[in-house]
Amino acid sequence: MESRKRRNTFRRDYQLWIMIFPAIIVILLFNYIPMYGIQLAFRDYDFSQGLTGGEWRGFAYFQQFIDSYLFTDLMRNTFLISLATIVLGFPAPILLALILNQIRRKRMKQLMQTTVYLPHFISIIVLVGMLNVLLSSETGVVGHFMKALGLGHINLLASTSTFIPVYVLSDIWQHCGWNSIIYLAALSTVDPQLYDAAKIDGASRWQTIRYVDIPALIPTIIILFILSMGNILGTGFEKIFLMQNPLNLPVSEVIATYVYKIGIISNQFSLASAIGLFNTLINFVFLYAMNTISKRMSETSLF
Amino acid sequence: MKKKVNVFISFIVITALLLTGCSGAGDDHNESAESPGDASGKKVKLTALITKHPLTKPLAEMEWLQKVEEAAGVEIEWQEITADWGQKKGTMLASGDTPDLFIGPNVITDADFAQFQGLFQDLSSMLDQAPNVQTMFNEKPDTKVIATQSDGKIYGLPKYQRFWPASASRQFINQQWLDNLGLGMPTTWDELYEVLVAFKEKDANGNGNPNDEIPMDWPGGIGGYFNPAVLLGSMGITLTDGSGQGYFVEDGQVKNFLTDDRYKTMVLFLNKLYKAGLINPEVFTHDYTKYQSIARGEGDTAKVGFTWGWVASDRFGEQLAPQYASMPQLKAFADYNGKLSWSYDYYSLNYGPNHIVMSAKTKNKEAAMRFINELYAPEVGMQVLFGSIGPNIKDNGDGTYAVLPPADAKMDPGTWKWTSTMADNGAFYIPDSLKLTLGTDMQEVLGQSEPLEPALEVDPDKDVFPGMFIKYSTIDNNTMSLNNTNVMNLAESSFAKWVTKGGVEAEWDSYIKESQKAGLKQNLEIMQKYYDDYMNQN
Repeated sequence: MESRKRRNTFRRDYQLWIMIFPAIIVILLFNYIPMYGIQLAFRDYDFSQGLTGGEWRGFAYFQQFIDSYLFTDLMRNTFLISLATIVLGFPAPILLALILNQIRRKRMKQLMQTTVYLPHFISIIVLVGMLNVLLSSETGVVGHFMKALGLGHINLLASTSTFIPVYVLSDIWQHCGWNSIIYLAALSTVDPQLYDAAKIDGASRWQTIRYVDIPALIPTIIILFILSMGNILGTGFEKIFLMQNPLNLPVSEVIATYVYKIGIISNQFSLASAIGLFNTLINFVFLYAMNTISKRMSETSLF
Repeated sequence: MKKKVNVFISFIVITALLLTGCSGAGDDHNESAESPGDASGKKVKLTALITKHPLTKPLAEMEWLQKVEEAAGVEIEWQEITADWGQKKGTMLASGDTPDLFIGPNVITDADFAQFQGLFQDLSSMLDQAPNVQTMFNEKPDTKVIATQSDGKIYGLPKYQRFWPASASRQFINQQWLDNLGLGMPTTWDELYEVLVAFKEKDANGNGNPNDEIPMDWPGGIGGYFNPAVLLGSMGITLTDGSGQGYFVEDGQVKNFLTDDRYKTMVLFLNKLYKAGLINPEVFTHDYTKYQSIARGEGDTAKVGFTWGWVASDRFGEQLAPQYASMPQLKAFADYNGKLSWSYDYYSLNYGPNHIVMSAKTKNKEAAMRFINELYAPEVGMQVLFGSIGPNIKDNGDGTYAVLPPADAKMDPGTWKWTSTMADNGAFYIPDSLKLTLGTDMQEVLGQSEPLEPALEVDPDKDVFPGMFIKYSTIDNNTMSLNNTNVMNLAESSFAKWVTKGGVEAEWDSYIKESQKAGLKQNLEIMQKYYDDYMNQN
């Protein structure tokens, strides 16, 4: 029964299948096939024997990472940075979309949208360069401003307490506009009759947002939230690595940068693979848990 | 509809055919190009990779190199790398797709030889084809020790450049500021403190603004060249090659200054300077370029009072260099009577391990060896380092040579050298018997090293860690590099915190315990074992 249904879909929707065929190939080629390299996390890397030839070590490299001196620091830093990014960064594009949606004049709205998208296209190295220039305690605009306010020499880039705020806020500034696109798209599907009905009932703007816009966004929000939980331990690498310096290292050393130092700089491929796989597993567990919770509570889910 | 699909599919098939067709043709082309080279006695084609300085001009434009390739009967296709070799190397070696020759400072490390076994050519059995290399091994036996792995194989050949001073770091103070303020040259840390306070509070550079002077600066972090770690010499610690990770030798013991009480004393002193506003507030966040450019000042106005560097003309620019004086080592305390020391870097400055390495897959190893032999000839060696005879070196005709000043008068000699040739990154041997007059930059380096000579009167056999001569096993090497990553993570952040905010005394004991946990104890045990073995053999 089930298999016949499947055969039917190939016959009936063959045009659709052909259309996504290249995408399937790409994902197979670049996402699934390389997964055989995961075994490197369980065996020694022996150049002369190739990727699969080293001695089988089981969970030894995972054990080494968990016993490692930096383990708790790495986990805490990675978790804190991603949590802050999610907690502060997740609602920001929703708010922005709701506000943009309130702009009545079409040209103005388009102008605003383009303006808030633009920072998304700044490359990370340039962005961190801008941060270095602007936030420099001696020569930067923000440094001068804080001196004028009598806050003294605070080097925002070189303090354990300001690293996360600088990281998260600059991230929101850069990506908030871009991420709001999907919410704006969801809002554009709201039936205009609902707005008319709300108006006739005498709803204020605030009440329109509360009872029309937000309910329309809920399914999108849930899906995106589940997806973001898959990144609970995924901080990205480049931006943190570029922002690191000895003074913020206690809070800025995360799994991604440590894997780089171990794997690429010290050539310890097996240990680095084990750490990477460990990180991915935790992300997957969070993603799965959130999906299950959401399925039970609201019947919206990824799978 | 069906027709369109067919068109689409045939399009894909054709594209695929075209792609495979192209790569197939490429392979054929390669093979046909290589085979006739040997048979007809024409030049042998080789591929080589060099990690060169970003300023260095393309290798095809170096006259001496053309002559060397001519003499060896080879034609080399160069791949020239100027940045991030450390990151590119791992992937290149892991893929096994390598050029015939690698040139550069420690371009392939001993650890790489151990990890990528079978990828590199053992040269020990081919040395009879390279008499110039054998001459180097005979005249400077240290080079042979550096080259030989623990199992007797030789994968990489070292360089020997003879002329460099015993230390990379020199200590500079702005003599003109001292004169402007009527102060004497400091000889102890306390006197240094007084001088730096005067630099800060008064208008030392005389431009009317008493607030634009930076009394003290370094590139950031702890350990390495041009770093305040040299002040540990004020209490008798002899650093080796800057001791980037803290290791040094004292009384036959391998130690690490990061957990030494004298280091704590130094951190306290630096914290005192920082609290008084005497250290550049951006010292831990600026990059090397900014560190260099700020010391160049503005026109005739110097900005930095006290700092470390290779040579004054490089550190401060030709215009400001005359304002600065090279200083002898300071005493930690006025009543300190122990020995004064410094960072002893003679071996790492004059010798370098693995400057040229051959791939085991090289098709014509004899030709590659001929090229290596030519590079190590004495007259070629000096041209590798200083540039071609003609534009860069004058041949006096009586067997003596002189390094010429830059053709462009605005360029400093150091930049000229790095622009013209492979310089220190090349593979070469300069015998002690070669009669070569050095350029003004090297004379300046040697002159500015003189004040440090008393502090550098160390016994290289006893007071210096022979890092370059010790070959670790792969396992020990991996353990040590992992531990060092952890130890330095803790050390860098603690040092930065203690200097800027203080607190070293309260946190010292727990810091020592943490360092041991991070693997310092294990590393010291490993290094001690190898050190003892090495000392017993020699």
